[in-house]
Amino acid sequence: MNCEQIGELLPEYLGAGLSDEQRVQVETHLAQCADCNEEMALWKKLALLPTEQPSPELRARFEATLDAYREGRAQEATGFVTPRKKLLWALGGGSWTPAILAGIACALILVAAAFFAGRYTNRPDTSSQEMTEMRSELSNMRQLVVLSLLEQESAVERLQGVAYGAREKNLDPKIVSALAHTLRYDSSVDVRLAAVDALSGHRNQPQVRESLVEALDPQQSPLVQIALIDALVDSHDPSAIERLRKLQEDPNTNPEVRQRAAWAVQKLS
Amino acid sequence: MLSVREGRGEMLGVLFDRYQVPLFNFYSKLTGDRTASEDLVQEVFLRILKYRRTYRPDKPFRTWMYQIARNTRLDHVRKKRPETNWQPELSQTTQDVDRAQQSQELALLQRALMQMSEAQREVLVLTRFQELHHDEVGELLGCEAGAVKVRVHRALKELREIFRGLESMRPSAPGGARGREEGINRTMPRRPTGGWQ
Repeated sequence: MNCEQIGELLPEYLGAGLSDEQRVQVETHLAQCADCNEEMALWKKLALLPTEQPSPELRARFEATLDAYREGRAQEATGFVTPRKKLLWALGGGSWTPAILAGIACALILVAAAFFAGRYTNRPDTSSQEMTEMRSELSNMRQLVVLSLLEQESAVERLQGVAYGAREKNLDPKIVSALAHTLRYDSSVDVRLAAVDALSGHRNQPQVRESLVEALDPQQSPLVQIALIDALVDSHDPSAIERLRKLQEDPNTNPEVRQRAAWAVQKLS
Repeated sequence: MLSVREGRGEMLGVLFDRYQVPLFNFYSKLTGDRTASEDLVQEVFLRILKYRRTYRPDKPFRTWMYQIARNTRLDHVRKKRPETNWQPELSQTTQDVDRAQQSQELALLQRALMQMSEAQREVLVLTRFQELHHDEVGELLGCEAGAVKVRVHRALKELREIFRGLESMRPSAPGGARGREEGINRTMPRRPTGGWQ
């Protein structure tokens, strides 16, 4: 291997991401190449550069910016800003004859009357529109938070993601699939158990029930299997019976789980 | 309505708490300008709020966020007048490093980093400091993971050349290639192993 090829492997070499054969090749090369050694030393040193902290006021300033942004949008939505801007623009230029001025005065009175009438009659609509908008915003934000937390390496953060995910009354389908994915594939039993709890709290949603049944995998940890079986019994969904029977008959299933599955089949039949 | 408003603030707050430091470091290491970096971090979170519907759950959130962060930076550069371009010598980050009396070598490395072209520096910042995988960086830069490895290596080579140049200009430099090699031998383990950082 030449320096180019070795150089491309260095980050992975240090991160222990190479095969044994590649590792030996890199080490043999490094033993005789000062340039590559120097590059590796630099790559290592880069990690020593300190992580900088933003100023403590950043959060407060952000909150203020956020409020200003929201206020600006609310004004746009209620039509406060746009007509005023138009009016200022109209008054700013040109020469005015008495007839035009009188016309403008009448128009202004009409506009003002329409504006105030509109303001009062539209108030409930605007408010409910704003409420709907805010609810949708909250739901979107929650989705972002849940999905971002569920992809973190730390189990604590993933647990937090599951908890946030379960907060809404009706779970968004995207959140349900993210939680279902966590329930099946998360590396931590605690996180998977939390996902069972989170989903079973929304078992009135058909997609959630399907996810719970789907997760009843023979490879799953017995603890999670038992929690799933209990959740399925609570959901009174007979469509789970077939899957439960399979689990009960599978010789690889843990004896306690088989017993629990038999009990569940009886309950749901 | 209040609870919905609070809920929204709380959710954005969770994201803010989780990502403000990585994003700040992305910008500060890229630009060397703390004040601008804080402004950019704020802008990214506003854009997350604004463009939240464009997020596709089949992609990692992190990649989407860094895409926003890169675009925010590009817009910022476009808006900036040419004469206000940032000068590496005046970098507050560099000054901070110096002020904190950190090792001269690290201060030099910081300077070398800031003298690289921004494109090269960005590849190093994304792969080394932001802990993004090669395929994630590839997604951001619009290339394959293999091409990212090539870019990282090229950037590292450029960094090495600049670092060498700066080192040779240092008044207390050990002098010449011999001194440099000695310097490396001092900092290098004989048989490097994986568990570093």
